[in-house]
Amino acid sequence: MIRLLSIPVILAGLVAAAVFWSGDAGDRQRADFAFINRGDNKCLDPNGMSWMQDIRLAYGLWEGLYTADPATFKPILGCADHAQVDSTQTVWTLHIRPDARWCNGDSVTSRDFLFAWRRFLETPGEYTYLHFYVQGAKKYSSDFADYLAARKKGDTTRPAPDFASVGEKAVDDQTLVVTLTDPVPFFPALLAFPPYFPMHEPSMHHFLEKDGLHYNQKFTRPPFLVTNGPYRLAEWTFKRRLRMVASDFYWNRANVKSRVIDQIYADDGTAAFRTYERGDVDWLADLDSDLAAQILAHGKRTDLHVFPAFGTYFYSLNCLPTLSDGRHNPLSDVRVRRALSMAIDREPIVKNVGRLGQPVSFTYLPPHVFEGYVSPPGLPYDVTQARKLLAEAGYPNGQGFPHLSILYNTESLHGDVAQIVRRQWLDNLGIQMDLQGVEVKVFGEMQHTQQFSVSRASWYGDYNDPSTFTDKYKSDSDDNEAKWNSPEYDRLCAEAQKEPDQHRRLALLSQAENILLSEAPIIPLYTYVNTYMFRDQVQGIPLLANAMIMFQPVHVIH
Amino acid sequence: MTRFIAWRIVQLPLILAVVYLITFALVWLAPGSPYGNNDRALSEAAKNDLKARFHGENWEAFLAYYPWRIVAHGDFGPSLSYEGWSVNDVLSSALPVSISLGLFSILIALLCGCAAGVTAALHRGGILDLLSLSAALIGISLPPFVVAGMLIVIFSDGLHWLPSGGWGQFRHMILPAVALALMPMAYIARLTRVSMLDTLGHDFVRTARAKGLPKRTVVWKHAFRTAFLPVFTYLGPATAYAMTGSFVVETVFNIPGLGQHFVNGVKNRDQTLILGTVLVYAAFLLVLNLLVDIGYALIDPRIEITARPE
Repeated sequence: MIRLLSIPVILAGLVAAAVFWSGDAGDRQRADFAFINRGDNKCLDPNGMSWMQDIRLAYGLWEGLYTADPATFKPILGCADHAQVDSTQTVWTLHIRPDARWCNGDSVTSRDFLFAWRRFLETPGEYTYLHFYVQGAKKYSSDFADYLAARKKGDTTRPAPDFASVGEKAVDDQTLVVTLTDPVPFFPALLAFPPYFPMHEPSMHHFLEKDGLHYNQKFTRPPFLVTNGPYRLAEWTFKRRLRMVASDFYWNRANVKSRVIDQIYADDGTAAFRTYERGDVDWLADLDSDLAAQILAHGKRTDLHVFPAFGTYFYSLNCLPTLSDGRHNPLSDVRVRRALSMAIDREPIVKNVGRLGQPVSFTYLPPHVFEGYVSPPGLPYDVTQARKLLAEAGYPNGQGFPHLSILYNTESLHGDVAQIVRRQWLDNLGIQMDLQGVEVKVFGEMQHTQQFSVSRASWYGDYNDPSTFTDKYKSDSDDNEAKWNSPEYDRLCAEAQKEPDQHRRLALLSQAENILLSEAPIIPLYTYVNTYMFRDQVQGIPLLANAMIMFQPVHVIH
Repeated sequence: MTRFIAWRIVQLPLILAVVYLITFALVWLAPGSPYGNNDRALSEAAKNDLKARFHGENWEAFLAYYPWRIVAHGDFGPSLSYEGWSVNDVLSSALPVSISLGLFSILIALLCGCAAGVTAALHRGGILDLLSLSAALIGISLPPFVVAGMLIVIFSDGLHWLPSGGWGQFRHMILPAVALALMPMAYIARLTRVSMLDTLGHDFVRTARAKGLPKRTVVWKHAFRTAFLPVFTYLGPATAYAMTGSFVVETVFNIPGLGQHFVNGVKNRDQTLILGTVLVYAAFLLVLNLLVDIGYALIDPRIEITARPE
C-alpha cells in the first residue's frame, strides 16, 4: 500500500516542483498600459523586420532622424534637430540633436546610422529596397553579394566593394549627408520608418558571428538590446510578456506619459478578447473579425473601434501568356481580365462575409489616405459590358473558356469570398471556376511562383506615399505576382520618382494607377478595416489607417 | 533487471534516430518555405541571406550537421519562424509549463479515476456504478475544447472563482488541468473498474476475506494493488502525452506551453522547431515507458522482468 501511495505522492511533489520551475520570475505588477499586439513578435532587429507587430514595437524602442507625429503619423523631426535639402532636392544634410542618447546613456552619433544603413546593404532584409533611393546603394548591395559569393567559392583575391561609393556620409559625429538618386519627397517618411533607424554597434559587437557579418539575434533580447527611442526593452519572455520601460535618457522624456508598457501574448482571438474583458489589457490591437462582427451587430458597445485600414483586399490575375501547367492563359488577354473585374458585385462580399462595414473598392490604393492624391475611377460593376468584352475575346457566354481555379489560403474568410466570386462569374459570365484552398505557406509559394490563374491577394502600405502601393506592380518588382508588364506604367512611376513637384508627382502616380486598373491585372474588392478595442479611459491611441501608434502619449486615466 | 534496463537504454538513441529521420524526411517534403511574410515576396538576396544564416547550404548539409549539433552540444539550432529565438529557448520556455500542467492533470486523473473505478466495481450494477460509468462515457466523448469552454463559462464567467486564462500562478493551472484530466480520468476509471471486477473474483481475494480481514484492507491492499497494473501501464504514455502539452487547451486558456508549437511549427514550416518538439515528445514517451516497466517490479513483486520462462 505504501508503495502504491508513493505514486500520487511523487506526482504531487513533481507538480509542486514544476509549478515553481515554470512560474514567472518577473515583476507581477500591472503595467501603466498593457496591450495585445497582432500576432507573435518575430524579430526585433530592424534589419530583418517586416511584420506589423514588430514594426509597432520598433516605434516605441527606436527613433529615426525623423519620427512620426503621434496624432497624424506625418514625419516630424525626431533624432535630428534640423534637416536641410538642397535645391535639386537630392542632397539631404541631417543634424543629430546633441541631447539624443541611447538608453545606456551613450550619445547617438552619425556612425550609428551609417552602421545600420550599411548593414541593410550587406545583409539584405525585406526592406533593403527602401535604401535603393540612395545613390550607389543598389550597386553596392549587388556588388557585395557578388563579393560574398566569390569568397564562398574560395576566391579571396576579389576586393570588397567600397562603401564610400554609397551616397551616405558622416561629415562629423553629428552630421550626415545623404545623396539620393532622385528627389524623393517622402524621404522624411522613410527616415521615420524602421529600416532607417540607427543601431548601437558597441552593444551588438559581442554577438557578431564567425562570418564577421551577421549578428546572433540574441542581441535583441534584454538586457542586451540598446535602443534610442522613448522606451527600452526591459523584459521579453517567449510567448508570455514583453515589457518596455521609459528610457532614462530619451531627449523628449518629459512627454512620455506611461512609464511601463506591457505587451501580453494571446494567440487565440477569443482568449485575447477575454483577457481584455478581464481588464488585464487596455488595448486590443486586432479583435477577431467574427467577434467584431457579432459586437457590431449588437451595436451596444462603445469600446469597439472599426475604421478603414491602409490595405486593400483584391484578386490577382496571372498575366503570363502560359499557365504553370503549360496551357494557354486566357487571362493574358486584357479584355478577359476587364470582363472578370466588371462582373463582380462587391456589395454581397462585404455585407455577408466581411460584415465589418468594409468600404467596397474599385481602386488599388485605398481612397482618401494620401493627401492630394486623386484616385482614378476604376472599372465599374457592369455585367452587360463584361459579357460583351468576354464575347469579343472569343468566349461568348463563357463558351470555350478553359477550366481555371481560384487560389486562396484557407485561413480567415478567404474561402467564403472565393465562393461568392465564383458564383458571380458563373451567373454573370457563364465561366466555371474551381476553388483551390491551400495552407498559407503553400499559398505564398504558389503565388510568388505564378502557380495560379486567379489568386486572392492583399497589400498594406508601409509609408505615407502612393509609391508604397504603386511600386508593387512595376515590371521588375519581386512583389508583382501577376507578372503584369506595362512599359507605360513603369515609365509613369519612374517619371514620378524624378518629379520634384509634389502635385505633378501625385498626378503621374494617379495616371499610373489608372492604367493598372483599366488593364486589370488585379481586381480590387474592398478596403481592409482595423478593429481596435479600448475603453474611453485610454487616451492617445489615434485611429490611423496604418494601425500604428506612438507610445509616448498613450496613458490610462484612473 | 539491470540487463533489461541497460538494453532499453541502448535502444533509446536508435529509436530516436529513426524518429529523427522520418520527421526530417516529412519536414523536407512539405511544400512552402519557413521564411518571410506571406504577402510579400522575399527578394532573392534576402532569401539567400536567411538561408546562409540559418541552414548552412542545403538539406544534405542540414541532415548531416544537425544531428551532430544536437548530440554534441544539445543544441537544436535557431528557430526559423521566431528569428530572435533558438529552438532551445522555445523548449526551455514552454516545456516547464507543459510539464507542470501535464503532471497536475495526471495527478487529478489518477486520484479521481481510481476512486471512481473502485467505487463502481464495489457497487457493481448499482446506482454508483451507473453514475461513474456515465461520467466516464461523457469524459471520453467530450473533446477538450468543449470541456474547456464549459469550465470557463461556469467557473470563470459565472462564478468568478478562477481566471479564464493566463499563466504564472497556481490558480491559473486549475481549470486547464481539469480540462486536460477529464479524458485520462475517464479512461483510468474504466480500466480500474474492469480490472477491479476481475480481481475481486480471484481466489486470493476470497481467501483474504475468509481470513476475516477488514473490507478496507481487502479492497485496497490486496485487490486494488493487483487491479492497478493495467492503469499503471496506461500511465506511461498518458503522462508523456499530457506533459508535452495540448494545442487546444493551451489555445483556449492562453497558456505558453509546448502543444502550440507542434501545430504552429508545422504551419510556419519551422523545420528546426518541428524536429525539436517531435524529438522531445519521442524522448518523453520512451523514457516514461521505461520508467513504467521498472515501476512494475516495484509495485508487483510477482513480476521479474528478466526472468525466462522455465
